[in-house]
Amino acid sequence: MYILEQLVNGLCQGSIYALMAIGYAVIYGVVGLVTFTYGEIIMMGSFSAFYYFIAFGDNLLFALVAGFITAALVGVIVHKVCYQRFLDAPRYISLICTIGMSMFLKNFATLVFGSEMKGMPTFFEGKFISLAGIRINYLQLMIMGIVILFSVGLTVFLKKTRIGMKLRAVSQDKKAAALVGINVKNTTLLGNCIGCGLGGVAGILLGVYYNSVLPTMGGMAGLKAFSAMVLGGLGSITGAAVGGVVIGVTENLGIAFASSGLRDVFAFALLVVVLIVRPQGLFGKKGN
Amino acid sequence: MIDKIKNFYTQHKTLVILGLIVMALILPLLIQKSSIMSIIVKMLFYVILASSLNIINGYSGQFNIGHAGFVLIGSYTLAILAQLNISVWILYPLAGVVTAILGLLIALPTLRLRGIYLALVTLGFSEILRLVALNWTSLTGGPMGIKGIPSPWLFGLQSTKPHIYYYIVLAFVIICLFTSYRVINSKVGRAWMSIREDDHAAMSLGVDIKKYKAINFMFGAFWAGVGGALMAPFYKFIDSTMFSLDEGFNILSMVIIGGQGTLIGPVVGSVVVNSITEIFRFADEARLLVYAILIISMMWIRPQGLAGTSKSVIANRGIGSKKTNIFTRIFDKKGVK
Repeated sequence: MYILEQLVNGLCQGSIYALMAIGYAVIYGVVGLVTFTYGEIIMMGSFSAFYYFIAFGDNLLFALVAGFITAALVGVIVHKVCYQRFLDAPRYISLICTIGMSMFLKNFATLVFGSEMKGMPTFFEGKFISLAGIRINYLQLMIMGIVILFSVGLTVFLKKTRIGMKLRAVSQDKKAAALVGINVKNTTLLGNCIGCGLGGVAGILLGVYYNSVLPTMGGMAGLKAFSAMVLGGLGSITGAAVGGVVIGVTENLGIAFASSGLRDVFAFALLVVVLIVRPQGLFGKKGN
Repeated sequence: MIDKIKNFYTQHKTLVILGLIVMALILPLLIQKSSIMSIIVKMLFYVILASSLNIINGYSGQFNIGHAGFVLIGSYTLAILAQLNISVWILYPLAGVVTAILGLLIALPTLRLRGIYLALVTLGFSEILRLVALNWTSLTGGPMGIKGIPSPWLFGLQSTKPHIYYYIVLAFVIICLFTSYRVINSKVGRAWMSIREDDHAAMSLGVDIKKYKAINFMFGAFWAGVGGALMAPFYKFIDSTMFSLDEGFNILSMVIIGGQGTLIGPVVGSVVVNSITEIFRFADEARLLVYAILIISMMWIRPQGLAGTSKSVIANRGIGSKKTNIFTRIFDKKGVK
């Protein structure tokens, strides 16, 4: 039973990772550059929700929407500082820029918000349902529901709307997209904002799940998102979602079988093994 | 201004190098304060670490962002073996060899990987090593770290004071820079640079890419290990928090700010970055903000780094990298004749 409960925990945590990874995949697909600022955007989303909860009461729906917008706005700054100038430059330049930006945002948050851990409000007060003896929290169900909602929403947006089509075109081939009259510059910015917004939402869910926000929470979260995306295959949204869930489940099963201090070791070991055996990721196409 | 310095250097090469060495030798006599001397010793550590990363990132174009993992192995090797009463002098190179073997173990399965995949694997390894060091309490002391690492004896003096330890580190810095210089200007170094410029072209010219990439990783890892081993007796205490990913990024920033692919770049980077973080120490937390802004503005203004050549591909971003063909690119790079 303990293993099954860990499996449920893993699925819930994995779904948060999946949302992060989906956001990362959107950014990577549209901008075409790897970013290390993403973790700090997750942290910013989480912190914004913390202050929205204080200002407007424990209204999760409002916090999610406002957190999405806040993270997207931070995404605009990141885009202006780190990507826009360097889209045609050697890739490592923008990568270093994102490392600098991540350092900036993390220390900015430490200075402005304070370095101590802050508590998030609790939802559902630990109520749970029992399914064949396995406890599933309402909170976990709600988190998984929100993640599924956002993923489905994003897929519909990308597949059915004109803007979504533009985004997909830009992520496939920037030159060809420009040739058929798409404003590549603005579309890239928009894609980056959507990705960052999803990261912000994931950050809020992470904060609510663990009941805490910290200025340093972004580093590991961003790394997990990155790993999940690479695990699934660069730029593939389905792959990113699956990668996130796989990492979440691996971690929690790792806790069940070994000590909890080694949870991140399992996640990274899995990643390293997958990259060595199948460098294009689980869902990636060869030669990508 | 940077070009002027370079011109002066090319005209009076031996004079400048001799002057620098003499200055480095008499430096501890001029500075009385131990605190300032410690900062200078710290700079020298980072010269070794940044140079070793520069060998991997700058010369062969592989992208290693988890360099802290190698440093960790070097440090812990020395700290653990020093408890068995083995002389620290033997442990310095031994730590390097252990780290080089680890570098080979990481390089072998990852030789196929390029760019961001390799970066992620090195990142993952660095984090795995840190977490193992944190959790393997019986060997590494876990969160308590390892205390009381002995300092070596130099001419009958125990080198606990930074003024004496300085000479040990300085010797290793000179050996590190000299061997790097010799290797880079040898067949091996030329092979690395050809892989950096275009691995397919290098392969077609008969360069055994896998072999040279593995050698490259081992050489870089060796010096990272020696650098890490040098740090342990100086701080007398190590724990896993000293080797976080941020530390790896810190070393990477030094390489970038100094200029990758140049021998002097990491030296400049280490001196500049360490000076700035020390100067802004009064600002406490805000000094990292200054550091972050420095990194970003460096990328905006001079992405090839302080010591990088203004003729490089990176300097004329976008335009240069697309329109010039592969051969002009190779010949434009500094250090390739």
